[in-house]
Amino acid sequence: MSRQGTTPTLRADNLTLGYDGADIISELTFTVPPGRVTSIIGPNGCGKSTLLRGLGRLLKPRSGTVVLDGKPITAQSTRQVARRVGILPQSPAAPSGLTVADLVSRGRHPRQRWYEQFSILDEKALRHALESTGMAGLAGALLEELSGGQRQRAWIAMILAQETDILLLDEPTTFLDLAHQVELLELVVRMNREHSRTIVMVLHDISLAARYSDHLVAMKAGAIVTQGAPHQVVTTELLHDVFGLRADVVTEPAEGRPHVIPLGSG
Amino acid sequence: MSVMVRPRAVAVGVVLVALCLLAAAIHLANGGTALPVDAVARALLGDDSDTRVYLAVTELRAPRTLAAIIAGACLAAAGALTQTVARNPLASPDILGVTAGSSLGAVSVVVLAGGGAAGLSGMASSVSLPVAAFAGGVLAGALVYLLALSRSIDSYRLVLVGLGINGLAVSLTTWMLTLGDVTNAAQALTWMSGSLNGKDWPLVEPMAVLGMVLLAGALILGRRSALLTLDDDVTTGLGVRVGWLRLTAFALAALLASAGVVVAGPLVFVALASPQIARLITGSVTPPVLTSALVGIVFVLVADTVAANVLPVSLPAGVATAVLGGPYLIFLVLRYQRRLA
Repeated sequence: MSRQGTTPTLRADNLTLGYDGADIISELTFTVPPGRVTSIIGPNGCGKSTLLRGLGRLLKPRSGTVVLDGKPITAQSTRQVARRVGILPQSPAAPSGLTVADLVSRGRHPRQRWYEQFSILDEKALRHALESTGMAGLAGALLEELSGGQRQRAWIAMILAQETDILLLDEPTTFLDLAHQVELLELVVRMNREHSRTIVMVLHDISLAARYSDHLVAMKAGAIVTQGAPHQVVTTELLHDVFGLRADVVTEPAEGRPHVIPLGSG
Repeated sequence: MSVMVRPRAVAVGVVLVALCLLAAAIHLANGGTALPVDAVARALLGDDSDTRVYLAVTELRAPRTLAAIIAGACLAAAGALTQTVARNPLASPDILGVTAGSSLGAVSVVVLAGGGAAGLSGMASSVSLPVAAFAGGVLAGALVYLLALSRSIDSYRLVLVGLGINGLAVSLTTWMLTLGDVTNAAQALTWMSGSLNGKDWPLVEPMAVLGMVLLAGALILGRRSALLTLDDDVTTGLGVRVGWLRLTAFALAALLASAGVVVAGPLVFVALASPQIARLITGSVTPPVLTSALVGIVFVLVADTVAANVLPVSLPAGVATAVLGGPYLIFLVLRYQRRLA
């Protein structure tokens, strides 16, 4: 692997983010736990995706900084950042006629120079990305012909080919049925375990987030309410305060993770 | 499984280069009265024993053939870049107002600086017309880009703004034509129909150098521009400065299109059709710059040969590209609509 061996650090320092109107996130400070799987949870519009986009330099801070490996992310070239951080936005778009291999090979861009052809190293990374996502057999297939789960795995393969230490995934399970959600989250955990990659994702389903993450961050109205191990974060009080949900939290038997049983709203 | 080396692209490239050479040979041999091919070849190699043939080939036909090659390559490469950047097969310099801007620049010079029946002479015609045409195209391109720019470039917005600027440039050009006297207007109209007639070395030589430099830039940018077909967030995530890349590619396209128009006048449809033909025959997602340029060269050479020889009266090449390209545009629009529906 050509990934750099050092432990990556990614942190938001007094970060204020917004689009055209008011701030969505103001003066938020957060350190991404290195080498672990972190999920950001919270109700719609709480700023989860905004935070992820900010961490992945897709959104310029109004104030504050995102610090990657000790240096402000805005002081580093976007290509430099792309060798350390891979980011998959929510429902990414691709032109029709693109094959899986075409898409995945684009993940090599930050490691290629304009005068270079596709190298043996690129080829190896491409094959590895296709194999670890189970997409090797579909390399020649057109993206638009794939099922939702396969397509999402193809996108994951693209950012895997980037060979970064940090992966940011914005709702990677959207539009997938439960079996495919589980399959994808297992892939995410494997990516973490096999190469001790740092992973941050935004997830909607609290129980699935608790099941597959080492660390949970609960957000409400642009601020972090609480964070910690799943059993510390997922409590009856938090579900009520953050999501406005009356629910029981039980412990699932397999791994002792908290599981949410909704009782009603408000 | 090899991803980047595409045998089909290589084969297509080889065939196209052969077609270019063949079309250039036919073009050289068939300007005005047909000359024997071997005589043309001898003249090209420097044999001046037959002075008439030698002069005809080196002073009249060779620059004309080279002009066709430059115009075809530049216009097609410009089209490939704009269509990639805008993610839209309709977004070519002739739709986006760049070529119309060039025409406006050229016609302004002919009408405003033209000296009546004598037309432009000396300095005025050999320098100011190409310069004005070039500046007009680049200005129109810059205007379209600035007006279409918001947080990102929306393809529809770009095409609509482009159509607006195109319409404006065309109306201003028509108005210019009514200002000048009849001789000037006729001269301007000939230029506007896209003629390769009378292109000589003083124009073709510097444009060949400029064209080559711009094409080299387009080739370098081409592969990277293909990344722009993914959405902006994904492309940024892959380490591309999206805004910067889009601006450079569009600016380079405006320069290329303007250079093409300077050499051959606004040859319609070359920039629009060549990249899409290249895309179809190579089977790639975005129009490849090099293949597009080769298709453009063949297109203009064939169009000029046909226009000069098919009818008793020799026509400007632009008439032939229009006749060949018109039906294609209709086909493209219909197909595009069907895909949206």
